[in-house]
Formats: sequence, structure tokens, C-alpha cells
Amino acid sequence: MIFAERMLKIDRRIIFLVIGLCTLLPLLYPVGLPIKISPEVRGVYDYIESLPEGSVFLLSLDFDPASKPELHPQSISLLRHAFRKNLRVVAMTLWVSGTGMADQVVTQVAREMGKENGKDYVFLGWSPGGTAVIMNMGQDLYGAFPADYNGKPTKGLPVLQGIANLRDVTYAVSLGAGNPGVEAWYVFGKDKYKFELGGGCTGVMAPGLYPLLRSGQINGLIGGLRGAAEYETLIGQKGKAIAGMDAQSATHLAIIVLVILCNLFYFSLRRQSAQ
Amino acid sequence: MPIETIIGAWVATGLTLFIFSFLYKDNPLFKLAENLYVGVSVGYTIVKTYDTVIVHLIWTPIVKNGEWALLIPVSIGMLMLTRYVPKAAWLSRYAFAFIVGVGSGLAIPRVISSYILKQIEDTVRPLLVMVPGEGLSFTWNLLNPASSLNTIIILIGVSSVLFYFFFSVEHTGLGKVVARTGILFLMIAFGAAFGYTVMARMSLLIGRLTDLIEFTDLSYGRPSLWLLGLTILTLVVMSRRASHKPEEE
Repeated sequence: MIFAERMLKIDRRIIFLVIGLCTLLPLLYPVGLPIKISPEVRGVYDYIESLPEGSVFLLSLDFDPASKPELHPQSISLLRHAFRKNLRVVAMTLWVSGTGMADQVVTQVAREMGKENGKDYVFLGWSPGGTAVIMNMGQDLYGAFPADYNGKPTKGLPVLQGIANLRDVTYAVSLGAGNPGVEAWYVFGKDKYKFELGGGCTGVMAPGLYPLLRSGQINGLIGGLRGAAEYETLIGQKGKAIAGMDAQSATHLAIIVLVILCNLFYFSLRRQSAQ
Repeated sequence: MPIETIIGAWVATGLTLFIFSFLYKDNPLFKLAENLYVGVSVGYTIVKTYDTVIVHLIWTPIVKNGEWALLIPVSIGMLMLTRYVPKAAWLSRYAFAFIVGVGSGLAIPRVISSYILKQIEDTVRPLLVMVPGEGLSFTWNLLNPASSLNTIIILIGVSSVLFYFFFSVEHTGLGKVVARTGILFLMIAFGAAFGYTVMARMSLLIGRLTDLIEFTDLSYGRPSLWLLGLTILTLVVMSRRASHKPEEE
């Protein structure tokens, strides 16, 4: 068997090992590669930065633990930014399987930033219906969520004072891993109730959301772990996303090299077969 | 450190390593973790849905607050369950008709407005831009999505891709050139989507390895090291048993 043929038939477990090492080694021995901020992530950051104190910030954590590595760092960064700006944070989720994790992240960041439940923030929890919840909130927030996640009645909470429905929300960000997610929030939320909307998503979903970004339907997009790393850089707080960027670069480089090598071996083999 | 955190770390590490063991070959450890994942997800969803929907949105409002009007949507929902009774399955059609009708009425106008009209509006932007103090100008910056050059590229891309999927006209001559252009745009788009997908999958791996590294700490009892050793030992033993079995027979 010639070299090119042997390389193309290599045991795939060797490739798994290469990728595994390219991911593990930079995590153990970080290099600290620079992170360039993209305009789409800056769009979300600049808008939150421009909001006056006391503005209503709605954060919809529409993901489950399967998407935690990408969206959890995004949610932590956004919450830290919102709490630092003393915004009134209204958190919720449209995914039932992500409810516990969403509650955990909101509580953890609020405790870290010294914020009080009911006064500075509220976690509404999950309500069934997906897009129907968005429409319901657009009509009457208290009808969609009569009580928060801890069972406290939402009517009368200081953080929700003056908020009747989605029209009273200053800025909403949906961190989505699928449907319902960013698109549902635009179609059934912003398009009808006219609040400003930003998005966060997994890397898989990002290409599909760029048309929304270009048309101005969303004013910013945080895509994947890379987007989370950019946001952590912007708020000046290093977290898991920045720590993972060296590994991300190393694995991408490894995959590019493997793709090029495979193509070289393939065309070399084809040329030899033709001869 | 709380005991539940330590137990959680051991369980998470074990299940992560069991799933990764599939990369060597399919084995009972992987099957255990896979079935646990499906079972726990479904169980969590059922419990959460029961608590939120049945208890807090149906039982408590009807029984404690006297909101008897909720019996109407409850009845419609119950009608759907008649699907499982062959003789009464016809009743479920009323429920489905109501849900499909309301859903379509709410969704169709919104989707047409957001996905079609708004996107068409953005695709046919003016090619010349009014710049204050300079008048009309053509911007060339490829890195700026709003530039005039990118507007032309997008217009060509959308038109050629739509033409490619129009099969009522044979793709010959000029039509073939347009269709090939559409294919080129599709290939670039799929390539970009694939690149993002690779990035996403690597991010998930980075997330798991970050946790595994954290759980090598003594405060957790070093579950990553102990369970890695246990997993490797189990795979070696299973591999040896599998290779000895034909000899015994």
C-alpha cells in the first residue's frame, strides 16, 4: 500500500487523539492569543452600555444543558454587564429542560454582584407554549407569568414596577440554541411590540441569523464560544470563554491541516491511479 | 465543599468519560450513559411540565381561585388524548382543527412580515448611498455589510440561488451561467455553515474538557483521574474478554 493510501485509511482514533491533544494542551498551558472584537458582538455591548440606570433588560435563556458550554458564558457576561449598569433584569426561559440551569446562573451572578431578588432582578421561570408565551407577554406580562420561579406573585414586585407588557421592555436579548429562540423573539415579539432585540446563539445557528442582523431586525449577535470570549473581553472580566479560545484556535488549525493533507493525499492517489 | 457538589462532580465526570469511551469503540459504559441522558432529560421534562402546567396553571387557578373558564382549554387538550382510543379518535379532530387554525392565524402574517417582506426590503437596498455633505456615493468596503458593493453581491446571490431552484426553465445558455453562480453562492454558504458547525462542536468539547480539568482538583476527590483509570481498565478488560471468547468456543 502506498503512503497516500495508508494515510487515507488511517485509524480514525488517531485523529480523535490528535484533536483531543490539540484541545487539552492549550487548556493546560494557555498562550493568551489576542481576541479581536467583531461588530456584531459590539452591537449588543454598546446598546447595553448606552442604557440609563433602571432600564428594563429582558434576558431569555432559551437553551438547555446540551448547549451550556457556548451559551452559559454568554449569559454570565450579559448578566454581569446588566447588573453593573444597574439595569432591572427580567430573566426567563422558553425551554423547560433549561429551567434549573437558568435559575442557577441568574442566582449565582446576582449574588456575586450583590443584587436582590424581587428588587433588582426576577427570574420568571418557564411557561408552556413557546411562541405563545411571547405573544402572551406582549399583551400582559402578569397573565403569562402570574408568579416568579419561586412562587412569589409577580404583581407588586418592585423590579416589575411600571411594566405591563413587552412594550415596556427597553432591551431584550435571547440566548437561543434552537426553536423557540432568537427568531421566535423577533417574529412574535419585536416585530409586533417594537422593543429593541439582540441575540446570542450557538455556533451552528449563527450563519442562519446573520440575515436578521444585516437587515437590522436584531441589533447585535453573540455567536458561540467565540462571541462569549469577545463579550468577556469587552466587559473586562476573563471567564471560561476566553480560557477556551487558545484551544479553539489550536483545534481549528489542526482541522485545517488535516483537511489540506487529506486533499493532497486524495489527489495524489487519483493521479497515480490515472497513470 | 458541599457534599452534593462533590457527588455532582463525580457523576458528571463519570458520565462524560463513559460517553467519550465510544471514541474507542461501542461498549456498555457508553450505552449506560446514553440511556441515562435520555431518561433523565425526559424525566426532568415530565416533572417540570407536570408541576408548572397541571399544578400551577390548571389545578390551583381552577380549584383555589375559581377560574372555571380554564376548563375550556383543558377540555380541548383532553380531546386530543382521544386519539389513543380508536372509536373516539374522531373527537380529536376538533382539537387539532382549533390549534392548527389559531396557530396558523397567529403565525402566518408574522412570518410573512418578518422572514419574507423584511428580508426582501433588505435585499433591494439602494445601490447609491446619500452621504451628508458629499451627495450620492458608491461605497466599496467589502468588510462593511451595508456597503454598496455588498448590496450588489447579495442581490446577485439571492437572484442566482432562487433561479437555481427554479426547475420549470431548462438551465442552458445564460440560464446555466446564472444557475452555476447560484451553486457557487450555495457552496460558499454551506462552507461557512460547516465551519461554524465545526467551531460549535469544538466548543462543546472544550466545555467538557474544562470541567474535567477542574475536577482533577483534590477538593473534589480527583474524580477525573480515578474515573479515567476505571474507564480505561474497564475497556481493557472488556477488550480482553471479547478476544478470548472465540478461543473458548
